[in-house]
Amino acid sequence: MIRDTDLEHKVRESVSGLQMQTSVETIIDNARRQRRSRRTMQSAAAIVGCAAIALAALGLTATDHESGRTSNAQLAAFTLSDGPAGSASLTLHKGAQYRLDPEALRRALAAHGIPALVTVGKSCDTNPDPDGLDEVVTGHRQSSGDVFITINPAAIPAGAELSIGYFPNHTTFGLIEQNAPEHCRA
Amino acid sequence: MRRDGVRDARAEFVEFYETNKDACLRAVAVSVADRDLAEELVGEAFARAWTGWAKVRRHASPAAWIVRVALNTRVSWWRRRRREVPLAHHDTAHDDLKSGLDRDVTAALLRLPQRQREVVALRFLLDLDTDTTARALGIAPGTVTAHLARATSVLRRQLLSPERITEVTQ
Repeated sequence: MIRDTDLEHKVRESVSGLQMQTSVETIIDNARRQRRSRRTMQSAAAIVGCAAIALAALGLTATDHESGRTSNAQLAAFTLSDGPAGSASLTLHKGAQYRLDPEALRRALAAHGIPALVTVGKSCDTNPDPDGLDEVVTGHRQSSGDVFITINPAAIPAGAELSIGYFPNHTTFGLIEQNAPEHCRA
Repeated sequence: MRRDGVRDARAEFVEFYETNKDACLRAVAVSVADRDLAEELVGEAFARAWTGWAKVRRHASPAAWIVRVALNTRVSWWRRRRREVPLAHHDTAHDDLKSGLDRDVTAALLRLPQRQREVVALRFLLDLDTDTTARALGIAPGTVTAHLARATSVLRRQLLSPERITEVTQ
């Protein structure tokens, strides 16, 4: 009769060689850095928010949606330009000084022949998701934390559109069915 | 006075880390089947624990909290990875078993459903009882028992079958 303790011993034994290499000082430093970064983000967001309200009240905020530039207090979080072979090059900037206007990005993408749903702080998909994302979007994260991607509109399947979810620390991309119910999550 | 309190909390956290880090790493490693990823996830969970140490230290099983947070972080990364093209390098490729894990056992564990694997990890590697495991995973104690029974039945067949024992003794 094989007892559970034999099995338990075998499972324990299988990982007995594993040991954490990270020192506790590194763990505590990482925690401190994360806390500081969160505080900085909150402070910067608060300052930028106040400045934007003040400028808006004075009627000074003007946005060039096509290029993604805004004046003064906040910088638009994207730049979009023509890429090779009919593609479009999109750069998403990250940081408290940037504010993404999802409607502006949606319009700019549409002008490049890219139907898209753009959301901030949530990502949306449909069930099922169309295949082919890897053919539509290629990209990488730049060292500054900005995200640079190339979008190939010709590869977007008929009836599909690109779903872009913009978050402070990451960005999600997916293909969704147009006119299908969307499921969004923060 | 406050500085003394901070020093005490730090000493307590350091002791907690040194006592539990390897068990937590092993419990997460059998769930994700990747030693480096497990180290990163457990490190992140411990960093969060230090940030909220006043609360975490009062948890019924702070080590179970670490494992749960590490596994939830993994789920979050996985969800992000699935759809984020700018390319986090954390892949959940289960066939890429890293060093430090027994290949046969890891392969058998990976064939279990995720929840059964988590129950095995918490019961066998963190030595938690049924109730604490249930609280850590947010499921009923009866469900823990059922998952463990199914998992051990499968693992016994795969790892301790008579054929295998015969092979070893020949």
